[in-house]
Amino acid sequence: MKTLYKKSVLIVILITLFTTASNAQISKAEIRATGLTCSMCSNAINKQLKAMPEVKNVDIDLNTNTFVVSLSENNSLKPSVFKEKVENAGFFIGSLILTTNSETIKSSSYIVVEGKKNNSIEVQIQILDKGYVTDKELKKLSKSYKNSLTYNNNNENDFHIKIVN
Amino acid sequence: MKKFLLIFVVFIFQRVSSQELFLLTDPASNVPANSLGVNVLQSAFEREMTSGYMYSIMPEVTYGLNRNLMLRASAFISNRDSQLVAEGGNFLVKYRFYSEDDLNSHFRLAAFGRYSFNSADIHQEQIEIMGQNAGFETGIVATKLIKKIAISSTVSFEKAFNNNRNILLPNTLGDNATNYTLSFGKLMYPKKYISLKQTNINLMVEFIGQTINENGKSYLDVIPVIQFIFNSQARLDLAYRRELMSSMIRTAPNGVYLNLYYTFFNLKN
Repeated sequence: MKTLYKKSVLIVILITLFTTASNAQISKAEIRATGLTCSMCSNAINKQLKAMPEVKNVDIDLNTNTFVVSLSENNSLKPSVFKEKVENAGFFIGSLILTTNSETIKSSSYIVVEGKKNNSIEVQIQILDKGYVTDKELKKLSKSYKNSLTYNNNNENDFHIKIVN
Repeated sequence: MKKFLLIFVVFIFQRVSSQELFLLTDPASNVPANSLGVNVLQSAFEREMTSGYMYSIMPEVTYGLNRNLMLRASAFISNRDSQLVAEGGNFLVKYRFYSEDDLNSHFRLAAFGRYSFNSADIHQEQIEIMGQNAGFETGIVATKLIKKIAISSTVSFEKAFNNNRNILLPNTLGDNATNYTLSFGKLMYPKKYISLKQTNINLMVEFIGQTINENGKSYLDVIPVIQFIFNSQARLDLAYRRELMSSMIRTAPNGVYLNLYYTFFNLKN
């Protein structure tokens, strides 16, 4: 009986661990790329994104250079992966909006600087750090958050976010 | 000819739109990281001294080592001496060291170095390490994209050595030059993008000039280009090169180009 009890405790712990892991994930990324106006350039970004095994589909609006990336469940991607892919193609991110589970943003890597946490299961967040916004916006944001203890440190593992929805 | 040029330039500026994938004047942007570009540039140039055309083929491979560093190898094959002969080749390294990107615009700077070997006979005052001379070239490229207009300019220093096979560069010729280029590009079609499969048509005009540093002899050429991009992956360029002015001896300044280009994306994946 005791072993059975121990086993069930273990199972419960494992399940909790796994659900937490699967909760901490990004289901969709909306990337607006900067510095390009040609479809061959867009295709370079498209190919970079599609080469990721977690990517299910990429929808592109070539006129605005917006890439809507649908991701597989239980992925453990960080926002930085999108920055890396776009920059490898030779361009930059102008805005990055992620659809994610509200559990995700409770992690210490995410620092909410704008918008309020709500109770919905899914949230849309915009990353406001250097490399995720245009240079012009970054200047404005740096001024707005000059009193923030972390924003102007540009720590690659900290993501300052705005809750969009 | 001048009228045609004026019309062409006005046409280019009328609508604001662009491309910077120039045929002869590389922009400051590089090919994507881990991507391989393969192209074959063919040309037929009218001989000035004798009759007929000089035909040449230049196969090239271009690789994006990372987002900022690009490598290229080219080979030169021509019928300068009646038969098609592989005369030489060159290596190019280009490093993008500055990028300022905004929505639909960018300003970029890159530095490049090119080293070339060649075993052709030397018949002209023009220094051309892309197919004529052994030597090197180093310079800076600046490319600006404003909304949809692309303007790119290069300034470089070019130095010729004696060619291989002990072919000496005559003492009477200058062995180094300053090169300058100015290029404009415009996207003509489509007006609005629908898909990556759409064929794009670009019009470009490139100006290429050189001054031999020792004696000030110079030339200036214009190259109008029409470019088709298929499936956002393959390119076909057709161009005409015309000498606008020259105070130096050149063997074959006027001619046409045909370039075929294909990109293999993400080689490492």
